Amino acid sequence: MATTQDLLPRESLLWIFAAQFVALLPQFTQLPLWVPFAWAFAVYWRLEVFRGRRDLPGRTLKLLVIFLIIAGLAMSYRRWFALEPMVALLTVSFTLKNLELVSRRDAFVSLLLAYFVAATLFVREQTIPYALYGLLSVVVITAALAAQMGSFSARPRRALGLSLRLLAQATPLMLLLFVVMPRLGPLWSVPQDTSAGRTGVSDSMAPGDFTRLSKSDKPALRISFDGPIPPPEQRYWRGLVYSEFDGRTWRQGFGVDPRNGGRVYWRSGERPLPQVGPRYRYQVIQEASRTPWLFALARPVSDSTEVGETEDDRLVKRTPVYSRFAYEVRSWPRDTDSVQAPLSTAERRRNLQLPVEGNERTRKWVENLRRRGLGAEEISTQLLARYNREFTYTLRPPALGVDSVDEFLFGSKQGFCEHFAGSYVFAMRAAGVPARVVAGYQGGEWVRGEQYLLVREYDAHAWAEIWLDGRGWQRVDPTAAVAPERVRDGLESAAGEEFMQDSLLPLHRIDVLVKLRLQWDMINYRWYQTVVSFDSERQRDTLQRLLGDVSPLRMALLFALPTVLALLGVLAWIWYSGRRRKLPPAERLYRKFCRRMARAGVKRDAGETPQDYAERIAAQKPRLATLAQRVTDAFERAAYAGESAALSELRQLLRWRLASAVSPAHKRELVGS
Amino acid sequence: MQKIVSAIVSDIGSVLLGKERQVKLALACLLSKGHLLIEDLPGMGKTTLAHALAQVLGLSYKRVQFTSDMLPADILGVSIFDRESGQFHFHEGPVFSQVLLADEINRSSPKTQSALLEAMEECQVSVDGETRLLPQPFFVIATQNPLQQSGTFALPESQLDRFLMRISLGYPTREAERALYLGTDPRQQLAKLKPRIDLATLRKMQSLVGQVKTSDSLLNYLERLVLHTRQSPDCAVGLSPRGALALLRAAKAWALLHNRGHVLPEDIQAVLPSVAGHRLQGEGGNGDQLVERLVRQVDIIAA
Repeated sequence: MATTQDLLPRESLLWIFAAQFVALLPQFTQLPLWVPFAWAFAVYWRLEVFRGRRDLPGRTLKLLVIFLIIAGLAMSYRRWFALEPMVALLTVSFTLKNLELVSRRDAFVSLLLAYFVAATLFVREQTIPYALYGLLSVVVITAALAAQMGSFSARPRRALGLSLRLLAQATPLMLLLFVVMPRLGPLWSVPQDTSAGRTGVSDSMAPGDFTRLSKSDKPALRISFDGPIPPPEQRYWRGLVYSEFDGRTWRQGFGVDPRNGGRVYWRSGERPLPQVGPRYRYQVIQEASRTPWLFALARPVSDSTEVGETEDDRLVKRTPVYSRFAYEVRSWPRDTDSVQAPLSTAERRRNLQLPVEGNERTRKWVENLRRRGLGAEEISTQLLARYNREFTYTLRPPALGVDSVDEFLFGSKQGFCEHFAGSYVFAMRAAGVPARVVAGYQGGEWVRGEQYLLVREYDAHAWAEIWLDGRGWQRVDPTAAVAPERVRDGLESAAGEEFMQDSLLPLHRIDVLVKLRLQWDMINYRWYQTVVSFDSERQRDTLQRLLGDVSPLRMALLFALPTVLALLGVLAWIWYSGRRRKLPPAERLYRKFCRRMARAGVKRDAGETPQDYAERIAAQKPRLATLAQRVTDAFERAAYAGESAALSELRQLLRWRLASAVSPAHKRELVGS
Repeated sequence: MQKIVSAIVSDIGSVLLGKERQVKLALACLLSKGHLLIEDLPGMGKTTLAHALAQVLGLSYKRVQFTSDMLPADILGVSIFDRESGQFHFHEGPVFSQVLLADEINRSSPKTQSALLEAMEECQVSVDGETRLLPQPFFVIATQNPLQQSGTFALPESQLDRFLMRISLGYPTREAERALYLGTDPRQQLAKLKPRIDLATLRKMQSLVGQVKTSDSLLNYLERLVLHTRQSPDCAVGLSPRGALALLRAAKAWALLHNRGHVLPEDIQAVLPSVAGHRLQGEGGNGDQLVERLVRQVDIIAA
């Protein structure tokens, strides 16, 4: 049975609940609704125990609760080995610990678990607000730990103060560990949740997809350049290629999608590179999209791990991008590639594929053009001229029926990028020119302060590529024919009034807010660059910069030097603060005498008077009796009677007599006797 | 000086066998102008000590047996109307003496206790709006039964604080007790005691106490002791400045009794249990245990 010493200090209970609440709060939004209630129930029960109204639950009840919880988790998730059920299990067991919070040890278990629960927050989110929240959690949990010490330690100011002081003292160590601690890859791969909705450009393009994207101003990519920056009209960040059309939806199709037979070159150098050097070098930081598609300028090559290059000049990641992902890219514009391999038959067939029937009017119109003997480029020009003359760019096109291309080209004549790209590719294919739809982002906002290009979701765009014999794939952006400002200045100027019309507050119209948001994005970018993306590679670079060469010796020095310096500082501080009051000379001399006597085997007790001590020495070491008596007399006269002559006598005694009296030879004799 | 002291001690020792230390403490208490509380079981020689002390020092001596129905007037005195002169005459109570033995002080009601204690503190008595000075020196020896005994009113802490020292006599040693059986009646012995000093000598000795030297080292030790009582978790209440002063004064008197012109740590340690024992309280035991621990824990030499 626990003694009162081991029992939980009563007043610290509220601290434990506060720590639990802080650790659990971010989890509550992710967990099934009953979990917060389970926590509240456990807390309520424990409070009832605290007030003496109820007992802690018995074994049967606890087993029942465990069974209920497991059943609840099974009902809520229907699978075990994924991130969410595991986090939920942790949270729930953490919650249930309240029902057996009796001893101080239980409190420690609960609070140490709270640190862990608080850390699971970072599995999902690593942004600044969450980091600050994590810091707050740590402060509160540490304060709760401090509150366990008893004797008024649970007072809010005292506990919080102690916690803050402890954490402040731990900060240098934290920084050191941040730089030096080896970054281990995940020991096991955490099964990621796949149920949450995907964002960004998706696998297929049906009418309306891009309207959804145009309503979101979340960042999608942040691109920083090493060297020249492409002009706005060249900023086409290719992500997906759609080559299969079923009359309504464009899909990647067999042989293009890497998950469906598309060829991917995972190792760099597997595909021959152009003879000249790359024109653009840049790093892309992509927000979580839950898809494997990466975005880059045409003909990209990347040496980053997990990144591969497809046959149709795109980049893909081996696993979906679940959290921010950074990759280095080099890009060659297509025109630098002088030698063009001819299009293979399979490729040609794939890029000429059309549904067997439907959109007859368009087919006929193109047939007419072909009869007039026009080549691929002339047909394209005709089509673009038509777009330019008769079409309007709008984010709110009317709904289209079954023959969507026909209706768009000859009926509504209103649409945006997906309509233009889709109808253009349809028409070109009908004219026998291999063509495909390319989706990705276009443009981006140049952030001057941190020198990077911010691409948002509403920059999502679709355009076309057609195959011209001898010249290879050529990019054609039909949208540019209708609304050149879309390509040059971005969606905001092209869509005008329609831009972000559905948002709750027209925040984008308030200049100050726009600037503030840009500032915030810059801070986020810096945060990501310096903290979140500090992986083993960066770590090596940093250490190399600091040390010149990463050898075990230098690493040890880097570790040991600050530690030793800090410890020396503490030592010096203790030394000086202890030395502030100087001992009176008589007492200092007497201390010396005591130390020597202790070495000779007679140690003075704290409360022992000099006279008693002298007598004890005389009893235990008769040889030292006279000396001890003389020293004691001199000391008493010097220290208590204030005789200065006695002080010098004491000094003399300690200098000469003692040195000879307790010489090593004597000492051995003494100890032996 | 030394001769006088040893003569006094041996004189009293002939009446109160084997209690030299307690006799010396009582003497030190008297010399430092404090009052003495003797706490012990009945029949241990409390009264004998008080009586012998008064006798040897040549002081006037009165004894009041405290009872539960006693009133303040029984100690201080009353004004009585004199029919012949037509005036009130003040009849002095037993408090008007140089040595007052307040026997079993904790058997009277708090009201009476406080009347006496007021007189002890101020060395004067106010009756019917007239202030009367008490004779000098004024020395109260109060005895008290251990509190567990029935029919007692415990002295509150604030009043315990008025006593410079609290001592207990304890059972005599075997030899002393045997001598007691064999010897003559202490009462007769008491009657035979002659004064050893006169009032002037006593006054001189009392003034000498103030001249005993205290060095910095000693005051530092005293400071550490007092600080320890205030900071240690054992003690609920530390020593008050009055307690610290009492300790210093008693230590000086003790040093004087041992014919020394300066105070040694031994002196403080010797008087500490009787001076601090009734002033300290705490979770860690009664006052005497606290004092014992205090002496053990506080280093005499500064660290």
